[in-house]
Amino acid sequence: MSSNHPQITIAMLATAIVLIGALLVAGCTGTGGTATPTPTAAPTTLTTTAPTTAAGTQVTTTGTTVAPTVTATTAGSTYIPGASTGKISVTGSTTVLPIAQKLAERFMELNKNADVQISGGGSGVGVQSAGEKTAEIGMSSRELKDAEKTKYAGLKAVPMARDGIVVIVHPSNAITTISLEQIKNIYTGKAVNWKDVGSKAQPIVVIGRDSASGTREFFTEKILGKNATTASMLEKNSNGAVKSSISPNPGAIGYVGLGYIDNSVKALNLSVNGTEVQPTTENVVKGTYPLARNLYYVTNGDATGLAKDFIDFTLSPEGQKIVEEEGFVSITRTA
Amino acid sequence: MATIPEQIIETRGLNLWYGPCQALIDVSISVPARRVTALIGPSGCGKSTLLRCFNRMNDLVSDCRIEGTVSYHGTDVNDSAYDVVELRKRVGMVFQKPNPFPKTIYDNVAYGPRVHGEKDRAKLDEIVERSLRRAALWDEAKDRLGDSALGLSGGQQQRLCIARTLAVEPDVILMDEPCSALDPIATAKIENLIDDLKEHYTVIIVTHNMQQASRVSDYTGFMYLGELVEFGETLQVFEAPKEALTERYITGRFG
Amino acid sequence: MNQASSVTPPPTRMSSSPLKETAISIIWLLCALFAVVTVFFILLYLVWDGLPLFNEYGLWPFLAGVTWSPTFDPPAFGILPLIVGTLLVTAGSMVVAVPLSIATAIYLSEVAPYRVKVLVKPAVELLAGIPSVVYGFFGLIVLVEWLRVTFDAPSGESMLAGSILLGIMALPTIISVSEDAINSVPREFREGSLALGATRWQTIRQVVVPAALSGITAAIILGMGRAIGETMAVLMVTGNAAIIPSPITNVLSPVRTLTGTLGIEMGEVAIGSLHYHALFALATVLLVITLIVNLGASMILKRLNARATGRAHAGRTVLESIFRHPATSAAPIALVALLVVAVIGSMGGPYYAGAALLVVAVLALVVPRLSRARSQQLAFLLIYAAVGAVLLILAIILFDIISKGLPALSWEFLTSSPRDLGREGGIFPAIVGTLCLVAGSIAFALPFGVGAAIYLVEYQRDNRLTRTIRTGVDLLNGTPSIVFGLFGFAFLVLFLGFGVSMLAGQITLGLMVLPTIIRTTEEALKNVPQSLREGSLALGATRWQTIGRVVLPPAAPGIITGMILSIGRAAGETAPILFTAVVFSQRYLPSSVFDPVMALPYHLFILTTNVPGSETNKYGTALVLIMLVVAIYAVAIVVRNRYHTTMRL
Repeated sequence: MSSNHPQITIAMLATAIVLIGALLVAGCTGTGGTATPTPTAAPTTLTTTAPTTAAGTQVTTTGTTVAPTVTATTAGSTYIPGASTGKISVTGSTTVLPIAQKLAERFMELNKNADVQISGGGSGVGVQSAGEKTAEIGMSSRELKDAEKTKYAGLKAVPMARDGIVVIVHPSNAITTISLEQIKNIYTGKAVNWKDVGSKAQPIVVIGRDSASGTREFFTEKILGKNATTASMLEKNSNGAVKSSISPNPGAIGYVGLGYIDNSVKALNLSVNGTEVQPTTENVVKGTYPLARNLYYVTNGDATGLAKDFIDFTLSPEGQKIVEEEGFVSITRTA
Repeated sequence: MATIPEQIIETRGLNLWYGPCQALIDVSISVPARRVTALIGPSGCGKSTLLRCFNRMNDLVSDCRIEGTVSYHGTDVNDSAYDVVELRKRVGMVFQKPNPFPKTIYDNVAYGPRVHGEKDRAKLDEIVERSLRRAALWDEAKDRLGDSALGLSGGQQQRLCIARTLAVEPDVILMDEPCSALDPIATAKIENLIDDLKEHYTVIIVTHNMQQASRVSDYTGFMYLGELVEFGETLQVFEAPKEALTERYITGRFG
Repeated sequence: MNQASSVTPPPTRMSSSPLKETAISIIWLLCALFAVVTVFFILLYLVWDGLPLFNEYGLWPFLAGVTWSPTFDPPAFGILPLIVGTLLVTAGSMVVAVPLSIATAIYLSEVAPYRVKVLVKPAVELLAGIPSVVYGFFGLIVLVEWLRVTFDAPSGESMLAGSILLGIMALPTIISVSEDAINSVPREFREGSLALGATRWQTIRQVVVPAALSGITAAIILGMGRAIGETMAVLMVTGNAAIIPSPITNVLSPVRTLTGTLGIEMGEVAIGSLHYHALFALATVLLVITLIVNLGASMILKRLNARATGRAHAGRTVLESIFRHPATSAAPIALVALLVVAVIGSMGGPYYAGAALLVVAVLALVVPRLSRARSQQLAFLLIYAAVGAVLLILAIILFDIISKGLPALSWEFLTSSPRDLGREGGIFPAIVGTLCLVAGSIAFALPFGVGAAIYLVEYQRDNRLTRTIRTGVDLLNGTPSIVFGLFGFAFLVLFLGFGVSMLAGQITLGLMVLPTIIRTTEEALKNVPQSLREGSLALGATRWQTIGRVVLPPAAPGIITGMILSIGRAAGETAPILFTAVVFSQRYLPSSVFDPVMALPYHLFILTTNVPGSETNKYGTALVLIMLVVAIYAVAIVVRNRYHTTMRL
């Protein structure tokens, strides 16, 4: 009996290892060892979706964008749909990621042989990846820094969308309008209670973005100037996290991009020189909303091939329409 | 041996199963107090199992089932109301393989009194010395009480385990082949020790070694395939066994 | 032996040339050295990129400065508040995790009936399989909110939230490894103690746990490593305000940890800026702290071991006699109790502190006077309470995820690609990607890890080399996952030119789980009785034959435990693959290991942080991730249980 144990146990260990190996093989080689598209779900979904949309048999929830219109409107621009092939990687700012992803989804519907891979690690990663050429396009929610321009001389930043920064509070908060001065007082720690800014007495929980974020930098520049942020500010590394912190907390204040506004938080109107400005796309386009900034694509040298096609598509009317659908503001739209 | 000694542990119709296997079959034995009783028999005959019934160590085996009674001083120890901890305090046990704890020599001996609530350092010192002396280990160990018990030789470790058992002042000491892992000199020391112990304690010893049984014990029980074949005074069992099976085993003519 | 083989039929697998044996031992040595070389590389890389900061900003202002505002003009890079935050949160997490874990481990190994045990143990291991993003999310939505309401604080994002969350995350590691350690205490010890009339609780407390102390300490070190290195969850709940709590016992104050800072700022920072170098300098400090914690822990361990086995010198220090004396052996407990009183005082004011003090005093008076049976009852009651708490935590988290994730589950969700930013469609490519990443990382780490452990235990017990290797392994264990990510990006993706690829992610994850595999395997091997090895060697088997046929089989359950923990961790981590392996979407499934992949935790991370309106699919993704981990576990657990039954004595 005991002489059998080693064999049994070794066999089992071997089984375990083989099983893991099998998983690996199933995952990696089982999906096709060559670069040809595999008949698995990933491409199937996309190829089946595209024709139905184009044929108009299925009305998409997002609106009237159908293929024929697109072809017509983009015919004159540098972007020619359907001709793009190859594979590019687009990486960087997580703020830009949702727009780029939606653009890529549509772009790949129009270009059956193009593969646009989107990932997000942050603006810094985007700039570095573009600089190191591990990605064809970097995404950034801020302008290029001097250090980056020095390190990668060929870097180019192309504005691809605009974003409005909205100050938000808990829905139960009585306040509806806030002045830039009041925001400044709150974020520098001068105002610590909501009664200091004309709401019901309650300690203010100040929430902001992390110090490396483009949003924070922009906010600091526009609102705080040379004043330091209060040390007790809670820092969050994404728009989603800021919103998640504010929606349950009656005393909280924070800021997020336009696209994040829903009824779980209350967006405040800004009082600018006595006039009240609502945080809307229209006001950003008109230039009356003071907290608006650009989002960028970054390339090392001029974009070529598929990367150029994708950027052109982004700047095309259809591309900019997608930008607006995701809650951002078109870079080309004027009042 | 003129007077008949009182019975300290008795079993009546004891049956025991490990899962589906019956390890003890209708065992009835009366163990006399302040004597040395040896249990002999071939491997797997159930003598260790029987021994472990006396202090309910079989409780630790999850699929063990017992029928019949085991009484200590006339009380059934398998009764659910019986305090097993108290039983084990009164009925100590020395195992086949020396199993000192990974603690100092002192702490090993003091372990029992401490778990029974003794905190006074002076009393503990006294108990440790007395126990080690009784276990004939004092002279060898008195200068290294703070050393690890694992550094002792096998024979010393076994005597330490005996000292550890003595330290809780038991009535009965169960010994499960205490010398099987020891050399002849260490064995002789333990055997002498057993001889001394019966002045104060009842000793029940399981052994493979028939010479040892005849040397140290007053009474001997012979077990075979889970049954107690014969039980009586050692002299009688060895010189004039009543059962043919016993005789064949003792004379070494065993199938 | 050769003569023998000429008489008997030629043995089938008996080639035992010394050359082969040497070669094998060298292979294991290389495995062991691999861990050290990796740590060295990582450290070198961190120091190298951190150096410019020390040059420009100075070491002292960096370490002792109390202001961290890297983007302000002029920037301030004082990390003292971050160091304090890290230490407080880690210490707090151990206060939460250690009692719960050890109680649960004791329950599993000493108290629980077999049938309960086979249910509870996998349940606990399931906690290890919950991705850290899910923990962070759960912490933010449930825990933080609960703390805010309970303590009527302005915000629940605090040191306490971080401690509780990290404590929960460290539970499975500490429980699993301690349980294995307690399980392997020889049965003779228990029998010896019980035969002396000790109660079960006395036996556990005074014999079993001390004998398992080495393993338990290893478990705590592993758990602490997980707590120190955790990034994604902790940054979601601690508030990340770079302040030192005032007073220091104010557990409701927000704090910021070193890892949280890395996790938050690393992605966005401009490469090559002073801020960038500051983050690397900060990572170096983190690694140094890990080193100090580990060295401290191993010193304590050595001391405890020496004391427990009496190998220490005969004379005792004052401290030891305090700890040894039965009347004062409660000193550490008293210390913790006072700390708790201080914390309660700082939260609720003097009345609460007074009440807490009263409770402690009553307990201190009553507990030592309890009878043995009563104190056993009390101890078991506390153990049941601890196990109940652990299971309750698991149930709450699972309920949260299942109830919200179930509606998302459908055949389409499992088999199609995401659409509309993951709000629609499914997660099939992410499932495939995660399977590939996990399988690859285990396939990479298991041979190295087991090999290293074999070398450490079987070939070299204790010398300078093995101590160096062990320190290296501990350091690797304490290395934050985000640092692995950075290292993988710089070394594998850029330097070796793998690009953002599955392979880079697999190796990065493999490195991350390597220490877990090494430490658990080491413990498992150590617990194989020496007599088995001797028995085999005495029969003329070579060292390797002995290891392969006699030592490894009984150690297999422990090795599999390590593997299970590793799978759970590798499947759920975001930070290491963030820069090395993943994309948010791809048109085709990867066709080679040099293609990037999608992965469930990353998908979840992006949905959570940057895709508004993806609630259902977010929870669906979390649920699938957990189910995937459970499926992998199930196989491993079945295998392990088979081992346990076949190997049981």
